[in-house]
Amino acid sequence: MALVLARVSAQFKDEETKNTLVLKDVSLSIPTGGFVSIIGPSGAGKSTLMRVILGLMNHTSGTIVRNFSRPAMVFQNYALFPWLSAIDNVAFGLRMAGMSRRERKRIAREKLKEVGLEHFENHYPSALSGGQRQRVGLARALAISPDFLIMDEPFSNLDTITVESLKADLLKIWRSYGMTIFMVNHLIPDAIELSDQIIVMGTRPGSVRETISINLTRPRDTRTERFFKEVDYLTEIIRTVS
Amino acid sequence: MIRSVAHQQTGAWRRAHKARHRRAWVIMAGVIGAAIILMALGYFGTVSWTTLCNAVFHTTYRLALAYGIALILGVSIALLVGWSPFADTFFPVFDVLQNIPSFALIPFFIYFLGYTDQMIIFFAVSSIIWPILFAILAAIKNAHKDLGDAATIFGARGLRRIPFYLAPLSLPAILTGSIVGIAIGWESVIGAEIIANISGFGAFIKTASASGINQAAIAGMFVILIIVFVINRMIWTPLLAESSKRYAE
Repeated sequence: MALVLARVSAQFKDEETKNTLVLKDVSLSIPTGGFVSIIGPSGAGKSTLMRVILGLMNHTSGTIVRNFSRPAMVFQNYALFPWLSAIDNVAFGLRMAGMSRRERKRIAREKLKEVGLEHFENHYPSALSGGQRQRVGLARALAISPDFLIMDEPFSNLDTITVESLKADLLKIWRSYGMTIFMVNHLIPDAIELSDQIIVMGTRPGSVRETISINLTRPRDTRTERFFKEVDYLTEIIRTVS
Repeated sequence: MIRSVAHQQTGAWRRAHKARHRRAWVIMAGVIGAAIILMALGYFGTVSWTTLCNAVFHTTYRLALAYGIALILGVSIALLVGWSPFADTFFPVFDVLQNIPSFALIPFFIYFLGYTDQMIIFFAVSSIIWPILFAILAAIKNAHKDLGDAATIFGARGLRRIPFYLAPLSLPAILTGSIVGIAIGWESVIGAEIIANISGFGAFIKTASASGINQAAIAGMFVILIIVFVINRMIWTPLLAESSKRYAE
């Protein structure tokens, strides 16, 4: 298993120093090399869970076993550094790892090519479209050769055509890298199309309500009866937890 | 200096920028025109230009030095505080300190440094530092959480966070803080020169006004206006334009 969470709880401290329980007894396991999506209504603590997994936020109780050494993340709002060009954004993690300038530029150029942005290496984020920014974010994550990739609603700010092409690229990358992907998704059909397993979270406080395995063969055809049945089933579950 | 790069800008942005640029030049052309007309009419005949230039030089050099010190101190303190987990604790402390009227502290500076250049420079530092400090702290505090998370995930941890994340993040704030700081700095240096009667533009206009030679004071104002305009056009405007393009969402 790449990741195991056992009865993990986390809370926020608000300005009046009151504690708000955001995650309660979350237990889940993510198989190594798997593609797992997490889905649930707003306020279910999905993004908090990502932060807890990456150690960006402390959990108050429970156990987390992380069997990965190079985690990376792709953000909903891209989180690119505006003062760096596309190539320098991609090379950021390598620079922090102490890699030589020449080597990190070579790798960054390679990753930009992989996501189809080889002609945009000197562009700054402000000069890129949403889809291009997200591709730079993906290239930045891939540059450090992650063994565990977290994606926090990576498609939510993008148009349908961009999402379709990004999904295809993402599946290709996942297969070639063999890494584990853990994705927060708010679109049920996307989650079913991409994932091996879907974790459904409920609100107040955030907790795991259901874990569903998707046994459709890959590549997945999103227009089959079986696919629509999975969508209906998941929609019904989400309706009950909302 | 920020590297210049090609950016995609909207037509509206470019038009608004050009209009602002034009307005500034029109105002300045008016100021210079008025000065030339007054000169041609012989209004400034009694003004000692050597004394005036000498006074303006002293004031400008004190301001430049004070700004340099305030910039180094302000940026260093703000980045260290912003980096530390105690930023929220320091905020109210700085808030109280910056609320103390700077001129109320001038006896303190005179007591320790006397009627010297250093007194004026350090007094000005005590006024210039606050806008820089607060602008940076606010920029760090209000930065999108995801940006900080990305820096952490991709390795900008510990002290490396300062040069690779916090410092570049604060660049627009350093610029705006500097612009406000220098405006306050002019007041502080000139005010201190008037109070302490030390050679400089402040002492120049004090003497000119006391002896009723208003032409000298008016000539001095024209010179200061032109210096401020040149600094603004040559330094701040290009830096601000570059920063707003680069840091645009």
